[in-house]
Amino acid sequence: MTYLSFFNSEVLAIFRRKQDAVNALVFFLLVITLFPLGVSPSKEFLQPAAGGIIWCAVALAILMSVEGMFKEDYNDGSLEQLVVSGLYLPVLILLKLVVQWCAVMLPLLILMPILSQMLFINWEILWVLILTLIIGSPALFLIGTIGAALTVSLRRGAVLMLLIILPFYLPVIIFSTGAIGAAQVGQPYNGQLAILAAISLMTLTLSPIMAAVSIKASVN
Amino acid sequence: MHSNLDLSISNLFIERSERVLCENFSCLIKAGEVARIMGENGAGKSTLLKIIAGILQPLEGKILFAGEDISFHRDMLQKHLLYLGHHAGIKSVFSVAENLKWYCPNKDIDAIEEALAIVGLAGYSDSPAHQLSAGQQRRIALARLWLTDKKIWLLDEPFTALDVKGVSVLEGKIKQHTNNGGMVILTTHQSLSDALCVKEIQLVS
Repeated sequence: MTYLSFFNSEVLAIFRRKQDAVNALVFFLLVITLFPLGVSPSKEFLQPAAGGIIWCAVALAILMSVEGMFKEDYNDGSLEQLVVSGLYLPVLILLKLVVQWCAVMLPLLILMPILSQMLFINWEILWVLILTLIIGSPALFLIGTIGAALTVSLRRGAVLMLLIILPFYLPVIIFSTGAIGAAQVGQPYNGQLAILAAISLMTLTLSPIMAAVSIKASVN
Repeated sequence: MHSNLDLSISNLFIERSERVLCENFSCLIKAGEVARIMGENGAGKSTLLKIIAGILQPLEGKILFAGEDISFHRDMLQKHLLYLGHHAGIKSVFSVAENLKWYCPNKDIDAIEEALAIVGLAGYSDSPAHQLSAGQQRRIALARLWLTDKKIWLLDEPFTALDVKGVSVLEGKIKQHTNNGGMVILTTHQSLSDALCVKEIQLVS
């Protein structure tokens, strides 16, 4: 096994199991369409709330897709094979995440211009929204990986993982919606974006290593 | 030249779920040997293999490989290691050939077809792995033995779900591997052919 062959197999696996990525996307779309129906379709409500609605839906969709990330590998024994492969496990986890991010976030970002029209987001704000998604979503994936790795050996770990992970999602959601809110009232939003980038970079350095430790503890 | 690839285990203490599986376990396995770990169900045979492979860490004891202490970092051993566990790491969404391509990226498709023919899966290379029977899935994993150049094989119950012919093919491969200076450590409850010159290691709890 090499890093390249692992990466190729991950791309192939996610392509064969596209159902998972599609599920997350459909879930996201449903939340976005239900909000105007459930609360109020008026522009006065939706325009200020749009950033929050989109970010909460994105966070939950990401959680859904990350939760089962190691399950299959754990059940069929390929996670053991990764541990004994002699390759550096954090790098393998990072490669897996890159594939996962592309599969979930790219379609979501492509859909964003259409969805933003449903929530009355204008074009300048859409740009800020997409920026926060690109900068902030890696942090959500990276934090989620730790939870997925911790609960991989549990039969019903999904709820436990939610409880562990969701509190760590709060800063990302707060600062992203903060950036969008600031942009909507014409204030500078660079500060919030910088904090989002800092969170993403910090989790990038910590989470693959922590996930690798948890996987080694789970596989036995 | 292969004589330096010795694996020596000393004073190993294994505990699983607060149950002591073995104390002061020591053994020396040299290159060119087939070692069979003996013990009852639940005696800790698989656990011992996992500890050697580096999936688990022993509570106490030392593992030396080629004269180097690898008790904490198995990287050096893992470069030479092929481990097949109870779950063999066969991805059900992949085809048979894709499963092997992933583990052995430097082998071309002809070599993979050839290995599949030896294990009795000729013509299956494009079938999805989940359509095959348990024995056939086991054979996909075993086909890796024909494609690898790793020296040390850890095989956990390699004969499970194999038919008589499969067992003799695998025994032949193990024999050939050890003749070439490789090392095989396996667990099985099946009686092995005498030609293998198995070194038996008793796990006492």
